[in-house]
Amino acid sequence: MSRNAKPGTAILRRAVARNGKHLWSGTALAGVYQLCAALVPVLIGVIIDRAVGRGDLTALLVWIGVLILTYLVLAMTYRFGARHLMRAIAEESHALRVEVAARILHPRGLRTEMRPGDLLTVSTTDAEYTSYFLDHIPRISSAAVAAAVSAVTLLVISLPLGLIVLIATPIVLAVLNLTAPLIARRVGDQQRQAGKATSVATDLVTGLRPLRGIGAEDAAAERYRTVSRLSLAATVRAARTQNAYQGVSTLLSMLLAGGIAITAGWFALTGRITIGQFITVIGSAQFLIEPFGVLAVVPSWVATARASADRVASVTRAGLVLPPGDKIIGGTEHDLRLAGVSHGPLNGLDLHVKPGEFVGVVAHRPADAEALVRLLAVPDAYGGKVLLSGEPLEEVERAEARRLLHVEPHQTDLFTGTLAGNIDLYGGDRLDDALRAAAVDFHDDLGAPVTERGTNLSGGQRQRLALARALLTGPPLLVLHHPTTAVDAVTEQAIADGIRTMRHGPGSSFATVVITSSPALLAAADRVVVIGDGAVTAEGRHASLSVHDETYRRTVLR
Amino acid sequence: MTDISDAGAGAAGAGAASAGLILPVATPLVTRAWLGADLRTRKAESAFALLAGLLAAAASIAPAYALGLLVDRIQAGGDAGAVIPVAVVIVVSAVVGGAATGVAGFLIGRLGSGILADLRERTVATALRLPALVLDRAGRGDLLSRVSADIAAIDRAVKEVLPGMISALLLATLSLIAMLGIDWRLGLAGAVAGPLYVIALRWYLPRAAPSYAEERVAIAARSQLFVENMQGLATVHAYRLEDRQLGDIALASARARDISINVFGFYTRFVGRINRAELTGLGAVLVTGFLLVRGGFVTVGEVSAAALLFHRLFGPITLLMATFDRAQDAGASLARLVGVLGLQVERREVVCRPAGRDLALDRVTFGYGGAPVLREVTLRVGPGERVALVGATGAGKTTAASLAAGILRPDQGYATVGGVPVNELPARTIAIVSQETHVFAGPLAEDLRLARPSASDEEISAALDRVGALGWAEALPDGINTVVGDGGHQLTAARAQQLALARVVLQDPPVVVLDEATAEAGSEGARDLEQAATAALEGRTALLVAHRLTQAAAADRIVVMEHGRIIEVGPHADLVTAGGRYAQLWAAWSART
Repeated sequence: MSRNAKPGTAILRRAVARNGKHLWSGTALAGVYQLCAALVPVLIGVIIDRAVGRGDLTALLVWIGVLILTYLVLAMTYRFGARHLMRAIAEESHALRVEVAARILHPRGLRTEMRPGDLLTVSTTDAEYTSYFLDHIPRISSAAVAAAVSAVTLLVISLPLGLIVLIATPIVLAVLNLTAPLIARRVGDQQRQAGKATSVATDLVTGLRPLRGIGAEDAAAERYRTVSRLSLAATVRAARTQNAYQGVSTLLSMLLAGGIAITAGWFALTGRITIGQFITVIGSAQFLIEPFGVLAVVPSWVATARASADRVASVTRAGLVLPPGDKIIGGTEHDLRLAGVSHGPLNGLDLHVKPGEFVGVVAHRPADAEALVRLLAVPDAYGGKVLLSGEPLEEVERAEARRLLHVEPHQTDLFTGTLAGNIDLYGGDRLDDALRAAAVDFHDDLGAPVTERGTNLSGGQRQRLALARALLTGPPLLVLHHPTTAVDAVTEQAIADGIRTMRHGPGSSFATVVITSSPALLAAADRVVVIGDGAVTAEGRHASLSVHDETYRRTVLR
Repeated sequence: MTDISDAGAGAAGAGAASAGLILPVATPLVTRAWLGADLRTRKAESAFALLAGLLAAAASIAPAYALGLLVDRIQAGGDAGAVIPVAVVIVVSAVVGGAATGVAGFLIGRLGSGILADLRERTVATALRLPALVLDRAGRGDLLSRVSADIAAIDRAVKEVLPGMISALLLATLSLIAMLGIDWRLGLAGAVAGPLYVIALRWYLPRAAPSYAEERVAIAARSQLFVENMQGLATVHAYRLEDRQLGDIALASARARDISINVFGFYTRFVGRINRAELTGLGAVLVTGFLLVRGGFVTVGEVSAAALLFHRLFGPITLLMATFDRAQDAGASLARLVGVLGLQVERREVVCRPAGRDLALDRVTFGYGGAPVLREVTLRVGPGERVALVGATGAGKTTAASLAAGILRPDQGYATVGGVPVNELPARTIAIVSQETHVFAGPLAEDLRLARPSASDEEISAALDRVGALGWAEALPDGINTVVGDGGHQLTAARAQQLALARVVLQDPPVVVLDEATAEAGSEGARDLEQAATAALEGRTALLVAHRLTQAAAADRIVVMEHGRIIEVGPHADLVTAGGRYAQLWAAWSART
């Protein structure tokens, strides 16, 4: 169908393979269930013919007994078959969800154009729709069983009637199948539009504060309304196609069942079959409408599952940003060396951070600082050399690289939970030191709750928590990016002293790089490197740079 | 059927009780009232949908009835011509039934999607106006799951459940009428199944409803985790938390899965009870038919027709019963959306033109639902004046700024502009640029148009130029039409801040509150931003939260805060001379140089 059809198909195929036990047990039981259901109209015909028609009480009791027995089997097979299938579906959607999450969180970084809202849709709705495919299989096979039983019954009663069913059914289904691509396109379009609407809602709700700040609630609501209307239009378009199809399939199924019944009626009137057989035939033909209906809507179900599987595949099969580094670096002393690095605005940057050093970095252009931080966190698409203890950074095993070189993101992200849960990630033993160093003095109780993304804390509090978290982690190389922008001057000084005490005591081999324009932090550093126009323009101690370098003074001494 | 509504109430109650911080859920009564009111606004559409549905149901009953009559003709030994009227009925029914089924499905689908579209738009519109406090406490994950998962659940119900449910109801009603028409005793025999169906539902729903509520809560928790981790991806990577976070997600997802499986266990037993009802009804029809034929009250053909009609109902009624819980499921989602609609939103109740452009806090006390963070704060910013708020972290600067801008409402006292409380001001009187920046996904120009939807490209370029952002904006791949934000071109923090200021310029309010807006960019970026802020604030009354004392020094007056109170007020020079707290701060600041 589309060029993405293949990955989606592979996902569906794997879903079948890995849920084999539950899927096939469930499908088999569902088949037996359907067999029993198909026998019910046959039994109705028999009872009317042999008991009601002839006034035979014994026959009535016997055949009602058979009917009860059939129902007993039917109920049991459903109960256990459906549970197997439900388990398969629930396990599969769970597995897909976790898989999508794992891919999004992959240490090497996911290469995707999708927005968080789209990713959320993939992880919820699409994972679910894909797993529904496991429900389609037993439904298809049960419908096929029902059709087969009815066909055999009809063949036994009358060869021509059976033949009509066997020949006409595939023709009807083939005709209906012609519309499958159109339905798939409409359904795909509808899902895309719905995803877009979800994305916009997510984006607007995420940016709620800035929106409210400028009183743009109405404009934002209007923007959502526009995408919602587009989504509605796509839904109505899809509904038109699907229901046109539904109408035609109803028409054809009714004509098919009706045609069989009329033929049977004619046979009965002309004495070729008995009246009991006639009732069985119309019961079966009427019963057949449902499995036919199922077989007829199968293309649209599968199309939906396929469209979702394609979207799941577009995440789980998306490329990764970083190569699979495998180098492990031994030893306790680590250095970081950048030589002739170009990356974004960086152009020929040289920087060597030796073990034990506390280096301040001043970037005249914020973009340079951001590029440097981004590069150290995700060493991708750069020129020159970025060496961690002599090894190219991207070739070092990811977890190892991040353990040795920790780059604290400037944007503080906290997770729902407690203060302790957000700071003490690895059970470090210097918790009190870290709290003191980062001036986390605003809460006595570390068990205090942190709401989603830390919104119950102020910007300054969040920033200090993140700093405490980074310090407690104790990486050999620590890179901080404007760590004190949301704290006051006095606290800033305390933090500068705290970082020195915590990481640069006597004999420590820890190295720290602080990208900042804070004089307090820069004064605490062993040396300061100044970056302008993408390369190092000056270097020295803060005190001497402040005296001798006019540009530096203007930048830092505000 | 009182139990059903009780079960619904239980579901809503469980949802609200199990997580104290979650947004409210509407009661079944409120939800139904909302739905009823909405349907009344679409009378003609609803009537047409119902009519088409009735026609489709009638068309599907007619053949069974006609065939029953044919049985008698066969028994009576009629000639082959007797088949012709039956054939005509069947063909006509097929044509009418096919058309009516398609039309009914489409009309019901369109009606449902239309209602849903209105609902989701109103939900999002309400969400956008929720008080900041409510939103922070409830978490965005819950809100996001309502605007994504819940809308999807209803959407699915509208597309897959609603048409089938309505047609099953119509079919059951018409079939029962037809059976009663054949012979009232046959009709009654079939109706025996009715109470059994009701018993099955009454057994099932009270068991399923709390589980569904629990499932929803579990799904909300799961999606909150997802959102948090996607937005905090950089942190997850930096701390190598991938496995831990994935573990949490897997746990939340597994919990939701287990609840679903558990609910389904009840469901399969429920279906067993439905089967029991079918068997009882069918047995009753056949035995009654047997007796009636023996007594000569009805013909064999009539019994056949009744049995066929009854058997014809099994599928649709099972569907109806089965979708009852999916409808209930969608109902739970609906209740969560309607719950959002019922929230108190921040709307300007009265709009008064302010008498001037001066901003004032008058004896304002405020606490985030607990001990006051601000106590009796009074300050005034004159027309066109720039006042800087200075103080240690946690002194209450941001809170004061939020109160001044109307983001928060004072517990006591007033925040006013030109004598009018800030929440009664006309739109575009006051703007706040807060610490949190966000680049809205989409073309850059569209981001800015949120501030003024009618702005032309020229006005947008002018606003960007004013804050010194036009240069880089035009250098983007598609200029001001470049797609930025999530999934688009990534902008630096400083540029995002410039955009925030450009939005203010475009909106052109007389009063502006600036909260740490220049603090994020570091050295040179900060100076650019300070210039941008100065340009954006030109001619406006401004209250700014200053962390850089240079920023404060440049203001007309400085307000020094400590522990939620104002301790000093005055111009820079005066305060430095006075030798108070500000003088200390300034000394510390200068000493670092």
